[in-house]
Amino acid sequence: MIHFDLPSDVALLLRDTAERFVAENYALPQRAEMLAAAPEEAPRLWSAMAELGWLAAPLQEAVGGLGLTPVHIVPLLEALGAGLVLEPVVPAMRCAATLARALPENEAATALEPVLSGERIEVLAEGAEGAPITATRDGDRVMLLGTAPLVPGGAAAAAFWAVAELGGAPILIRVAAEAASVAAFRLLDGQAAARVCFDGASCAVSEAVPDCAGAALDFGTDMGLVGALAECSGLIDALYRATLDYVKLREQFGRPIGRFQAVQHRMADMFIAREEARSMLHLAAEALESEDAGFRARLVSAARVKIADNARRALRDAVQLHGGMGVTDELAVGHMVKRLLVLTQLGGSRGAHLKRFRDTA
Amino acid sequence: MTDLLTGPEDMAFREEIRAFVAANLHPETRAKVARGAPLAREDFARWQRSLFERGWVAPAWPVEHGGPGWTARQRLIADEEMFRLHTPPLPGFGLKMIGPILMRFGSEAQQKRFLSGILSGDDWWCQGFSEPGAGSDLASLRTRAVRVAGGWRISGSKTWTTYAQYANWIFCLVRTDPEVKRQEGISMMLVDMTSEGVSRRPIRLMDGTEEVNEIFLDDVFVPDDLVVAEINKGWTYAKALLENERFGIGGIGRSKHLLQRVREMAVAAGRGADPEIVAALAGYEIDIMAIEATTLRLLSAAEAGVRIGAETSLLKIRGTEIQQGLTELMMDIAGPAALPERESACVEEPFENAAYQFLNWRKLSIYGGSNEIQRGILAGQVLGL
Repeated sequence: MIHFDLPSDVALLLRDTAERFVAENYALPQRAEMLAAAPEEAPRLWSAMAELGWLAAPLQEAVGGLGLTPVHIVPLLEALGAGLVLEPVVPAMRCAATLARALPENEAATALEPVLSGERIEVLAEGAEGAPITATRDGDRVMLLGTAPLVPGGAAAAAFWAVAELGGAPILIRVAAEAASVAAFRLLDGQAAARVCFDGASCAVSEAVPDCAGAALDFGTDMGLVGALAECSGLIDALYRATLDYVKLREQFGRPIGRFQAVQHRMADMFIAREEARSMLHLAAEALESEDAGFRARLVSAARVKIADNARRALRDAVQLHGGMGVTDELAVGHMVKRLLVLTQLGGSRGAHLKRFRDTA
Repeated sequence: MTDLLTGPEDMAFREEIRAFVAANLHPETRAKVARGAPLAREDFARWQRSLFERGWVAPAWPVEHGGPGWTARQRLIADEEMFRLHTPPLPGFGLKMIGPILMRFGSEAQQKRFLSGILSGDDWWCQGFSEPGAGSDLASLRTRAVRVAGGWRISGSKTWTTYAQYANWIFCLVRTDPEVKRQEGISMMLVDMTSEGVSRRPIRLMDGTEEVNEIFLDDVFVPDDLVVAEINKGWTYAKALLENERFGIGGIGRSKHLLQRVREMAVAAGRGADPEIVAALAGYEIDIMAIEATTLRLLSAAEAGVRIGAETSLLKIRGTEIQQGLTELMMDIAGPAALPERESACVEEPFENAAYQFLNWRKLSIYGGSNEIQRGILAGQVLGL
């Protein structure tokens, strides 16, 4: 059941705050300075973001959140994506949303308190497709074996929640960064990530968090996907606007190139791509509120397919219409293109989402 | 197919529509629509009569003129259900075009004279806009109306006039002042098709049907009371007409119906599990969902008082691209089974109409303002290029 209400005042306020924050802190030279730091260094604006309540926003009040629905926070995440922020907001949100469902309320509140306050970063760590992290019992301990090859936001994380399989069932095990072997690196777009090897890490059996039938993980995954899609939608919008400005200014043959029909039609298609992406984002965000996991999965995957397709189209056209300037490192366009690539390469292939869409019909 | 509008009230409304269609749709018409076969006048007229008697024939009309008082959301649901249940889509020339124009701009006498006939189907209307030399560049139209005592005399020709063979009235754009800027010298007039000087030549289309016609107007007299509102303001009225039903132009119901048919064909062809077909169908389903979500989003904005204008061109562009893409997929699935002539003894069901629909629906990206014109409208009016 989808309502399609307009963004609420709260949503718009969050978005405006984020846009101001980005304008003040994320001009390209400022960003370049942040990128010069080692990836394992704590991201500079993390605690400021936590203070603004962004990490707590989508969680229920009982676990220390602000109780906002996904529809309320997607405009904020769109602004952060368009702003090319380097702090791992979405990975942290995904982790928190998973824990809030997997742990009993009081335990979740305790576990999340230092995370939501910005004191430390904790993210989920999963094995590669077909190579899950495995857990085995050894007396009253659970021993881990396996590697998470690419953990977004993992470079400066204080702890990981390893997503492991114990006898075929999913469990979550918290592993402090010191107890794992962490190799930090930057992704194509400058975001810090890590390869995390859990071989030899362990915890007491009582500390392993079972996730009955994977319900919490499934929800967290969908939450993370919608977060990434919000960033994509924000980036598509930013590329559209930057390109529109550019074709109005750039003159060739004695007039702005936006006067040429070939350019106009391409811009019209970019506008369409942006509108469709926004609509699908809204749809997926509303679907996240549904407790029908099949319906949720179906609409989130539909949105993922459409938005990733439109992201490709938008980045292609944005670069093309910027001409030579579009392939430089000097404009925001190139940075946005790389961010879109990172976002759409992660989180499952087009084919996998198309399949999930069909399988949940 | 995932329905997005499924609240309790939505579902109750769907039930009401389903019950009505089950009780009233003629099985022959149903069978034709379900198979993409061409429809005859009787298919439309019969269905229009049923809808009219139920008070549902003009979903977007205000109650005082005979509309059912549905919300925009209900109209989308009704459209979706009606298509799903294989009802014939009624031609919009009266109900969606000249009817709303007369309600907004026409005289009280014109409203009184024409609206009830549009609703009941007693009058059939066709549209006299395009001319052999004025297609996308409609403002260059050359059919002229010259002032005479008590009215005007029209000479010229109109083309692509859909279902003119059934129509007894045609609304025309004519040039009433050749001296001023092109758009400012155009008027809208209502012409009785039985008037002296009106003649018709059917145009056979490549799919073999004769849906469209050329209309010749040879010194046809039109009395003053059949001029729509002001002389030389016809362009304004025509533009308003194009904005009517703007949220319907994505053709969501039509697309879903077609997708359902293509899916059935894939199964009939033994290719229901072919990964290529399965992926293509899922892709189109998502494309349709994006149009539906966009329609709903624009609708919420409009209901909240945001002015939505040319943005809806995107619905026409994407809707028709999806529908044409689906007819191409239909051909891929049918293979050689699409080739025997429709009336021949060797047709292979359910593919007998596939090629014809593929051919017929090439028109979708051309009519109602070609998709190139729509992109131009977006670029000019929304993007400011």
